[in-house]
Amino acid sequence: MTLNIHWRLDPAAEPLRSEPGTEHALPAFIRDRRATSRNRFDYYVQVARAVAQTAFDGLFVRHRSEADESRIIAAIVARETPRLLVVPEFPASVGSAVYAAKQAATFQRATHGRLGWAIAAEENAASREAEADFVPDEDLRQRLDEFLTVARGVHRDRPFTFQGRHFEVLDGGFEAPLNQHRFPKLFLQGEDDGALALSARHADVHLFAPGPVDVLAERIATLNTLTAVEGRQVAAGLIQPLLVREDRDGAENDVQHLPLASGTLVASYDEAADQLAAYAAAGVTELLLEAVPTLEEAYRVGQHLLPRLRARTGAARKAA
Amino acid sequence: MSIDFYWRLPTHGCHNSLHTSGYERGDWSPLKPGNIAPGLGRDGEPDGFTYIDHLTEIAKAAESVGFLGGLIPSFPNTDDPWVIAPLLARETRSFRFMIAFQPGFGNPVHTARMAASLQRATGGRLLFNIITGGGGPAQLWWGDSFAHDDRYGRTSEFLDIFRGVWDSPNVSYDGRFYQLRGGGLPPLLRREEFPEIWFSGSSDAALRTSARHADYYLSWLEPFDQLGDKFARVKERTAALGREQKCAVRVDLVARATEEEAWRDIRIGFENVSEETRQRWRGQPTDSVGASRQAALRPTDARRYDELIVAPNLWGGFNLLRGGPALGIVGSYEQCAARLADLIARGADAFILAGTPHLEEAWRIGEEVLPLLGRQARTLLAAAE
Ligand SMILES: Cc1cc2nc3c(=O)[nH]c(=O)nc-3n(C[C@H](O)[C@H](O)[C@H](O)COP(=O)(O)O)c2cc1C
Repeated sequence: MTLNIHWRLDPAAEPLRSEPGTEHALPAFIRDRRATSRNRFDYYVQVARAVAQTAFDGLFVRHRSEADESRIIAAIVARETPRLLVVPEFPASVGSAVYAAKQAATFQRATHGRLGWAIAAEENAASREAEADFVPDEDLRQRLDEFLTVARGVHRDRPFTFQGRHFEVLDGGFEAPLNQHRFPKLFLQGEDDGALALSARHADVHLFAPGPVDVLAERIATLNTLTAVEGRQVAAGLIQPLLVREDRDGAENDVQHLPLASGTLVASYDEAADQLAAYAAAGVTELLLEAVPTLEEAYRVGQHLLPRLRARTGAARKAA
Repeated sequence: MSIDFYWRLPTHGCHNSLHTSGYERGDWSPLKPGNIAPGLGRDGEPDGFTYIDHLTEIAKAAESVGFLGGLIPSFPNTDDPWVIAPLLARETRSFRFMIAFQPGFGNPVHTARMAASLQRATGGRLLFNIITGGGGPAQLWWGDSFAHDDRYGRTSEFLDIFRGVWDSPNVSYDGRFYQLRGGGLPPLLRREEFPEIWFSGSSDAALRTSARHADYYLSWLEPFDQLGDKFARVKERTAALGREQKCAVRVDLVARATEEEAWRDIRIGFENVSEETRQRWRGQPTDSVGASRQAALRPTDARRYDELIVAPNLWGGFNLLRGGPALGIVGSYEQCAARLADLIARGADAFILAGTPHLEEAWRIGEEVLPLLGRQARTLLAAAE
């Protein structure tokens, strides 16, 4: 299996970069001709170009309620990069499933089918209520199930009719030319069996949180059993935060300056490549990597880790 | 006083001319030699361009020739304005994106976040045409089962929250259609300018909602006196609430060097309309009051193009030639400018103009018609004689 490797952009990370009015001042004797039309999106575009140039397969854009919206960022960076899969993450509370699918159709048409969808993990009730979302905890999975059923349904079938608790459609479905691209590659996440069962019905990729290789292998086996029941195939993905340096000492030294996300892989380039290759051998075919600062680390990981990792997984593939 | 002129981005493809019914621009008709975006390369393969590349050309033409921006319509088989706007954001410099949006389709807080992000990405070039749906089967196609006046109630609550989370970091709201507890946009997003709200709909519920929320009341063209009365009512009604609302007209033009040339293009287009097209436009079910005001013109029953001339330079058959409302303006450059001046005299503060094909006509109308507008209608008509 080919290993697809994506980078994750967090729009709330490095919040001052390219933010008009908050940029660091230069000393007066340095002539400052930075364009006033510059804005935050210049930074997102810079990251996306870095990710394309360093041979990642895709760019994820995190959902952050305190930052720019992911689907707007995704459309802007997709127009500025030739090749990447672009995967905005958004919550199932965004509104009409038909409307979300219709927006996806335009995105696909304009980018030769380079859109993916990642559904964000649900936030707690108070945060949801601050988003005008009052669906109770116990109904959230059902809502997501219906959201995805309707979004896929109107994309695939004409006519499409559906009557659920959260969504309904009568005699719907897209016509040519809106239905001529594939549905966005769909990434779901979640650790419990219910999340895996939902992925088995809808996802193209189920994204796991970082953990030991043997634990992950077990969860992948469960996922595969559930998907076989549905008569489908769902790829296993791993979200992996990184702190990688030329050697282990350098990495451990830098741990002291950075608050790290839980499960961060702290390692040399070679060790990290070994570890990620082990995940690949356990059945992971989609890697979602992240590190801060987003731009510099995209270059580092793209230039140093990816070639090592691809050499290892390529060799394993040839041997198989 | 200044008058704002916008153009329109056709989101359902575009025709090469008013004479043809095929969509040679975009992929709404089968791909064949001569089509563009996508087109066929030398070897007969699709050339890799997509419709967004043509929309880019139209937006650039419009901003170059002096239009402030363009309306981006949204119907079941169109491309979507929320995606078109960010795709074109960095390809244009001053072009403002007027997103047609039915509020019922989006979560109001998330939609505010999307809007503020677009403001940040474009330097404040976003505005809205708030639409509330034509009802009938199309509404359930979209997944919306609300009745006409409930839809306007929902639109109104949506706009309360949309503006509320923009104005304050901590808003609660307890409505019939929406609840919110402690919501608000983050500071970097809130500091953006709140987008202008244009509002479409002709029913009483529409006018009431518009008076409360909108900066501009937007109407299709109607016979001039009727439209003037409507605008006067809109302005009175809004003033009674202690607010001000401007009025805008969305209208297609066929402007040519001479009036004869303009009518010739209309005649050829009319004679090429197929029976199938007439059937398609006949009796589409809707609860739209605005649509019925247009349908009263009955263009599908006409046998000759000139049966549809309802007043000098006003033709009521445009919906046979391209998607959209029936009534539009036909004439020489001077006559078209005079009709626009008439509308300004009847209370129009802004226009969304369009012509087919949208790219070339943006240049033509921008270069030939708009420059004449500084003169009085009477002088213009004298020049047209
Ligand atoms: C200028 C103008 C533009 C409109 N654009 C759209 C549009 O892009 N998409 C849409 O579904 N309806 C559009 N409409 C229709 C209105 O949203 C609304 O459905 C219709 O006017 C029915 O409301 P009413 O019964 O109050 O007239 C437009 C209406 C006007 C007047």
